[in-house]
Amino acid sequence: MEIYNLLSSDISAIFITLKLALITCFFLAIIGTPLAYYLAFESKRSKSFLEAIVTLPLVLPPTVIGFYLIVFFSPDTSLGKFFIMLTGEQLIFSFHGLVLASIIYSLPFWVQPLQSSFEKIGKDTIRTAYTLGASPLDTFKNIIIPLSKRGFLTSFIISFAHTMGEFGIVLMVGGGIHGKTKVIAISIYDHVEQLSFGKAHFLAAGMLILSFIILLSLFYSNRTRVVGIK
Amino acid sequence: MTDLYARVEGKVGNITFNFEHSFNSKGITVLYGPNGAGKSTIISAIAGFSKNLKTTITYKNVDFESSNKVPAYKRPFGTMFQNPILFEHLKIKDNLEFAEKRKKFSINSEKIIPKKELIDHLDLVPLLERYPEDLSGGEKLRVVLARTILTKPAYLFLDEPMSEIDIRYKAKLLIFLKMINRKYKIPILYITHSLEEISQIADELILINKGKKIDYGILPEILNNKSFQSLIGKFESSSVLEGTVIASNDLLNITTLDINGQKLIIPGNPASEGNNIRVRIRSRDILVSPIKLTSPVVENELEGLILKVEKENNTAFTEVVIALVNSKTNELAQKIRARVTTYNYQKLNLNENSRVFVYISSVSIDRQAYQSN
Repeated sequence: MEIYNLLSSDISAIFITLKLALITCFFLAIIGTPLAYYLAFESKRSKSFLEAIVTLPLVLPPTVIGFYLIVFFSPDTSLGKFFIMLTGEQLIFSFHGLVLASIIYSLPFWVQPLQSSFEKIGKDTIRTAYTLGASPLDTFKNIIIPLSKRGFLTSFIISFAHTMGEFGIVLMVGGGIHGKTKVIAISIYDHVEQLSFGKAHFLAAGMLILSFIILLSLFYSNRTRVVGIK
Repeated sequence: MTDLYARVEGKVGNITFNFEHSFNSKGITVLYGPNGAGKSTIISAIAGFSKNLKTTITYKNVDFESSNKVPAYKRPFGTMFQNPILFEHLKIKDNLEFAEKRKKFSINSEKIIPKKELIDHLDLVPLLERYPEDLSGGEKLRVVLARTILTKPAYLFLDEPMSEIDIRYKAKLLIFLKMINRKYKIPILYITHSLEEISQIADELILINKGKKIDYGILPEILNNKSFQSLIGKFESSSVLEGTVIASNDLLNITTLDINGQKLIIPGNPASEGNNIRVRIRSRDILVSPIKLTSPVVENELEGLILKVEKENNTAFTEVVIALVNSKTNELAQKIRARVTTYNYQKLNLNENSRVFVYISSVSIDRQAYQSN
């Protein structure tokens, strides 16, 4: 009976973690892709400003990001109020808040691989498509996306894995509420705190193996022929 | 007749552009100038990729750069950049289809080249099922050329298209370009550094230096202009003669040309009787004599009249422009440029309006003599 309880609580954490990572990647694709395109091809100096902002989560301590997110997500701010009006729920300590936070701190992990992939395709390829009569949207769909498949895959895997593994921000913004905002990383922390090393082992080993398989498949696929893949 | 007008002004890097030209809507126009003259920038600007330049591009009375700017992908031009790019994720046949599907430009049915003819002419059949990464530089170039033509452009812009092509294939491609220009009436604007290509393909030449047009005209005229000579340097100083094949000897592998009634023997059998051929002759390979030699040791003797003398300062040389005489009408015909030492020029007592004989060894004539028309 005890074993069953343990599993049900951890399974809910696993489920929440995967759901969080998937939804985050979905929004990152929508927000991060145009951003990566802009940063790859815009030559104006003003882009440096944007580039710096997008990269910030990469260098800031998670607690700093977590702190500011708590401040901005608080029901007293206009963002917090707007969200309560929209969903009837406050951002802080909610799954929605967790998604929003994840999008922000995982943004550089989506943008950077894709940006460098776009840069590798180069302006000349885009110009060539234009001279052949392809509109910018046509070019993006039929040239850029297929040519940067590898970039998309890398962005997805890294962002997914990073979102799955974040601890500090998730704890601060989500509060680790069981069945709602408690993800695997927090479960492990709780188990260790209660000295339930067996339970911690179960989740930690799972994360380790999953992460290793993800990275292995990424590096392996990077070695295979990039072009010619249909 | 002109459909296309371009004006390009402004600064890119350290070149200040001040270029203006009404492009001929027929024939092949070569844009020639030293490295960094701004040739590629001008073509890019016409194609719709001007960077920080003030441009006016008008095609058939439509202003492409007005407030209602026509974007590059809607302009009816086929542009092949210096560094031609194939889409790496598409097979060669799909690369071709990409252009074919989007061919927005079909203006005039006589300008449409059947795809099959294009593929055959450029020997693309064995490449169709392959991916770009498996192609050599020269093969890629041929595919890019075919792909550009498949867009059915009203103008074809080619930026040094032959740089990766080996000499034997070059001849074939130049004939091909001339064919599509003549048969399908696609005007071509061609950038090259190669005098060989210019002499074979150009109908008109635009000389450009430091972003400015410094001369423009039909090929034989420009080749003899000082503006051109100063751009290419004395070593390459040369002229182009055009003649009709009147005989060819397969046994000896030579061809006789009629140059306005005078004969010129060239090596090889590049074309059959009745065809016109252009040959390039370097100025330093021409011997000039004020009297007819009784037993010349070279194959060719042509009669002419010195039109112009250009003595060079600080060198040993003088260049003379000689008009060949039409042996039937006795009128002055094509011009040829010869380079002599000032020492010999004085010794032989040459002058403007002197009647002269020029002697040319057939060995010195470039063997790539291509069909002209």
